[in-house]
Amino acid sequence: MTTTAPRLSTDEVSDHAPASAPTAVKSTRRRKRPRWISHTIAVVFSIVWIFPVYWMINTAFKPRTEAMTSKPEFYPHHPTLHNFAVAFTQGDFLVYLRNSAIVVSGAVVLSILLGLFAAAALSRFRFRGRRSIMVVILVVQMLPATALLIPQFLIFSQIGLVGTYVGLMLAYVAAVLPFTIWVMRGFFLAIPMEVEEAARMDGASTWQVLTRVLFPLVMPGVIASGVFAFIAAWNDYIVAYTFMQDQSHYTLPVWLASFTTQTSGTDFGGQMAASVLFSLPVVVFFMIIQRNLVSGMSAGAVKG
Amino acid sequence: MAISTVNPGLRRAAKGPRRNLAPLWLLSPAGIVLLAVLVAPIIYLVVTSFTDYDQRTLYTGAYDSVGIANYLSLFTDPDFWWSLIRTVLFTAAMVAGSIVIGTGVSHLLTRLSTVMRYVVTIVLIFAWGMPNVASSLVWKWLFQPGYGVMNWFLTQLHVFGDMTNVDWSNNAFLSYASIWMLIVWQAVPFIALTLYAAETQIPTELKEAVRLDGASEWGVYKTITLTFLKPTLLLVTILSVIWDYNVFNQIWLVSQGGPDDATSTLGVFTFTTAFVGFHLGQGAAISVVTTLILLILTVFYIRNLIRSGEDL
Repeated sequence: MTTTAPRLSTDEVSDHAPASAPTAVKSTRRRKRPRWISHTIAVVFSIVWIFPVYWMINTAFKPRTEAMTSKPEFYPHHPTLHNFAVAFTQGDFLVYLRNSAIVVSGAVVLSILLGLFAAAALSRFRFRGRRSIMVVILVVQMLPATALLIPQFLIFSQIGLVGTYVGLMLAYVAAVLPFTIWVMRGFFLAIPMEVEEAARMDGASTWQVLTRVLFPLVMPGVIASGVFAFIAAWNDYIVAYTFMQDQSHYTLPVWLASFTTQTSGTDFGGQMAASVLFSLPVVVFFMIIQRNLVSGMSAGAVKG
Repeated sequence: MAISTVNPGLRRAAKGPRRNLAPLWLLSPAGIVLLAVLVAPIIYLVVTSFTDYDQRTLYTGAYDSVGIANYLSLFTDPDFWWSLIRTVLFTAAMVAGSIVIGTGVSHLLTRLSTVMRYVVTIVLIFAWGMPNVASSLVWKWLFQPGYGVMNWFLTQLHVFGDMTNVDWSNNAFLSYASIWMLIVWQAVPFIALTLYAAETQIPTELKEAVRLDGASEWGVYKTITLTFLKPTLLLVTILSVIWDYNVFNQIWLVSQGGPDDATSTLGVFTFTTAFVGFHLGQGAAISVVTTLILLILTVFYIRNLIRSGEDL
């Protein structure tokens, strides 16, 4: 999270190599292993690693007769959108989409608002107990999901929040807020103190410094942590599966997983089409904030 | 990040009596919410682990304190010890696999042309970005008896015999193997890209110097690259241990802990105890033990984080 804060670009990793690296490789005449070996390994690796994704997309566009064969077809001979139509009409795709949208957007907005202020406090001020708070934040985000699930389920069922959007939303806030605070704090720390000093010289109050100077500067961090929060909440299966017992309240992952149990596990075309629809927004987001993911997911651990 | 430690403005801000209150009101909204949805549940988890909270309690609200009975029955339950052993071994296997492959791919990235590096990066992001519910479904399809493309492929290799109709979920070892592949597939991108970012920071002059001394490529990698990567490698390893120890979705969706509890790790064991058998008190006790083990790992993580220069 250190130096990379305000940059949000897809090609960062490939641009990341210091300019000297390629020239250094070229200038060394005694390159022991020729490049084609590395490139061959890279090609093989890429094929192996992309294969599951390719197979998902491939199956999604195949008619059933081509998907369920003992000898696999490596591309759809008669591409069809039939599976997507099935996915849409299997249960109520749009209802589950709406459920996911409500809960996820609520959790994202809430954790960003709360996290923004908390991150400002934890980065721009020194006060007693700050270190302990940071340690607690680090520890709680490591907790296993199944551990929190039991008490949250019990407490929420006592106050009637189990099975409601608000209950699920709060469970997601609990899961992502510590992380959001951690990520945004990194972005705050990257802002030079002089910026703040200058505003204070001009007579700005603490509130004005925050809203006029710091918050606008930390916007990339808001976007990055918002995307993190989105991905975590959008992908969650176990909490929604436990909390939302009424099928009309299913979120997309619960619906997606129910494909395996409900349709006796035979309609793989429909499953894959549904998986494509579900994965698409996440993969797009990953592309957008990929560089921040590398530094952010290690919680600021890795000095870039 | 070092800026903040030496920043005079910070200390000055803390000195002013009026500004002293700013962090308080900035922190309290998040603090109150976290207390309610995170800290209180953790305390409640510990309390529940000393009760006989079960399905009946969900309707009547009645439960009794049973002291440490849940813990005693847990420690005398072979199922618990088996799932602990499984978790440890499986975590070790997954971490080893993903770290070794991830380190390899990271080094591979440094040796590629820009275009090829771009391609590999995109591939990595796809594997990384796939939600694990979706990838678990894809996995079941890849390894489907009769129609799975992996079954077909392994049959074509003529090494394992006819695999066409092998049911991976019916065999303990094969279940593990397929879940292992799934976890490693998704874990490698983070590890590879993180290590790659660190690897590009290594000054090339150092490598040149060692090369001039006549070191082989492997020698350069061992003496220079690995030495520089050590802190990052350590952090990535600890994080992988924590994450893999916590894996639940993929196991639950691919094998449901089966066949015959063969893939029932601590997470699965907790979930089935608490939400299938509805022995919530017992499940809470398992969670407490699981979390305590995890805390030890987290202490390692935070110590390394601080040692690596992170200013908390």
